Amino acid sequence: FWRNSWEAFSYSSYPVARAHRFDGCKAVCFIYLHVVSFAVLLCAAPASVRCVHNDVAVPDFSAYRRDDVQDATTSSQGSSDSRKGFSYLMTAATGVTGAYVAKNVVTQFISSLSASADVLALSKIEIKLSDIPEGKNVAFKWRGKPLFVRHRTQAEISQEAEVDVSQLRDPQHDLDRVKKPEWVIVVGVCTHLGCVPIANAGDYGGYYCPCHGSHYDASGRIRKGPAPLNLEVPVYQFVGDDTVVVG
Amino acid sequence: GAAATVTVTHCGACRRALSALRPDTAALLTSTRKRGAATYAQTLQNIPDTQVTTLDNGLRVASEESNQPTCTVGLWIEAGSRYEDAKTNGAGFFMEHMAFKGTKKRPGSAFEKEVESLGAHLNGYTSREQTAFYIKALSKDMPKAVELLSDLVQNCALEDSQIEKERSIILQELKEMDSSLTDVTFDYLHATAYQGTALAQTVEGTTENIKRLTRADLASYIDTHFKAPRMVLAAAGGISHRELVDAAKQHFTGAPFTYKGDSVPALPRCRFTGSEIRARDDALPLAHIALAVEGPGWADPDNVVLNVANAIIGRYDRTFGGGKNQSSRLATLAVEHNLCHSFEPFNTSYSDTGLFGFHFVSDPLSVDDMMFCAQREWMRLCTSATESEVTRAKNWLRNAMVAQLDGTTRVCENIGSNLLHYGRRIPLEEWDARISAVDARMVRDVCSKYIYDKCPAIAAVGDCFLWPSKWSSLEKEDSV
Repeated sequence: FWRNSWEAFSYSSYPVARAHRFDGCKAVCFIYLHVVSFAVLLCAAPASVRCVHNDVAVPDFSAYRRDDVQDATTSSQGSSDSRKGFSYLMTAATGVTGAYVAKNVVTQFISSLSASADVLALSKIEIKLSDIPEGKNVAFKWRGKPLFVRHRTQAEISQEAEVDVSQLRDPQHDLDRVKKPEWVIVVGVCTHLGCVPIANAGDYGGYYCPCHGSHYDASGRIRKGPAPLNLEVPVYQFVGDDTVVVG
Repeated sequence: GAAATVTVTHCGACRRALSALRPDTAALLTSTRKRGAATYAQTLQNIPDTQVTTLDNGLRVASEESNQPTCTVGLWIEAGSRYEDAKTNGAGFFMEHMAFKGTKKRPGSAFEKEVESLGAHLNGYTSREQTAFYIKALSKDMPKAVELLSDLVQNCALEDSQIEKERSIILQELKEMDSSLTDVTFDYLHATAYQGTALAQTVEGTTENIKRLTRADLASYIDTHFKAPRMVLAAAGGISHRELVDAAKQHFTGAPFTYKGDSVPALPRCRFTGSEIRARDDALPLAHIALAVEGPGWADPDNVVLNVANAIIGRYDRTFGGGKNQSSRLATLAVEHNLCHSFEPFNTSYSDTGLFGFHFVSDPLSVDDMMFCAQREWMRLCTSATESEVTRAKNWLRNAMVAQLDGTTRVCENIGSNLLHYGRRIPLEEWDARISAVDARMVRDVCSKYIYDKCPAIAAVGDCFLWPSKWSSLEKEDSV
């Protein structure tokens, strides 16, 4: 019925009139098949070979088919969901992987514009502690600033521990400013206006800034003078017994 | 649901205006109204039922009596190229040619002469799943027509000399068919969509087969497939069913109904493969493209909805006068942007599968645009088909369904096909009810089921190179 109602459209039937029509057969053009050159071979043969569309056979693509659709007598609809699912999963996985790889490549290229290794290397300093005798304060150049590493005596440690924190301008207990009490590591920049304090000077046995007269104690805390804050304690880490890495 | 009723009414104002100007015309109109034209529902109900009788050997005899001076009687047989294999492809078509070349009882031209002496027309066709032979004659000649048909099908002469003569004629016909690019496109579509299966074969067969088929092959084809349970003797027109059955009993009782070694040919499922085939020929002026997804078989109720969907898509060719004012959106686009010369949707069904798609002919440079627009229209149907266009499509479909049954031949064809496809004749009332039951949501659901995210098969013939690969078309299958 539906073939009838769509007679002009449906191609499941070929009504053939009994009167054969022979109105001027056109020369059959050479049909080049995009998919296969079988027809080419056919037409390249001697002139008596006829080229009609009926002779064109779609090649056997079984080598490329998935297992679910190898059988020509089974509907492909049943396996359609699983085949699509697999394809989409592969696409999604490849997409995610590709995005990850792309992101990494891009960040690698862009991060090459940031600080180079030699510059970064300068950001840390490794200090051999056995070179610093007790009671001595050694200054190092670190990140363009002076770094004071002080090997304190026990007397200095106990003295600093007894100081009343509430009386300090910038209240901080000594033990909060050091990891190991005998080693004080501070940035040697006065918190007032940035001069370099002199070690083992001043009224409190610590540092004295000659520019405006700030007195720091053996823990680097401000005791007298115009400076508002204690000397800055940088990030540092003791590596082994003898080494400290600052930065 | 209740069948839709369409009644012809004159609006009150119209009648008043007419009566004011021309009183006698108004009276005439009013009197016609009072007598009452039949309503649409009434006309459907008044169509006589199709009567079906099954003979002992399994042959089904069906007819619709309709008081006409002429009738069409025919045999519809479940045989076609799908039942052939690679070696016998074309046997059915060849056999159809041989059928009119004489029978054992009426050798040579005696058969055709006898048909012509009745003043009757004898015709036939072979398709992928069915073969038909039918005679259009005066109603009184029905018994003779039945006899001629039985002779044709059961006693085909298959003379060797005729077979040899027929080879070159068939080859000539193949060459002619090659010039009909639409047919070529659809053949290629089948070849690629059903590759590796029997549905990929063309009806006419390959040239090698046509040159090689022997009398034995044709006889074997007839012997294997022309069995009574697979045949329907259908008739429509001024005949009586009782007389038809008597004639059938007289001439078809001998029709065979057993198979050699009980090997009933089974029809395996044909696998659909989403694929593409391009027969490029830049010397041709236009490109013919056909695209289809797998559709349902004949008996699936989704077919009604898909046909409504096709009616929404509409069709177009350059001779249409509507221009930019057509109800089909795709047609309007085609005109506005000069997308194609013509397009049409199709829904071809087979017993367990089908091809639902569209075909268009366009300039080589517009192929890509037309493909994009057509697929976008498909996606629009899947997601946003509206009630108003579904209503319009349903009305169009009802109209087409009823209009196509004008003439005894078409009714007879309808009876024969229905019995082969559905096992019964589906009356117009039922079709109407099924169509009425379709709404926009059903169209969206059914379209999504068959179209959305499905691989299509595509065939392209002619100057089709400028259209990129099918993968770009596929992307659009799931992008709105």
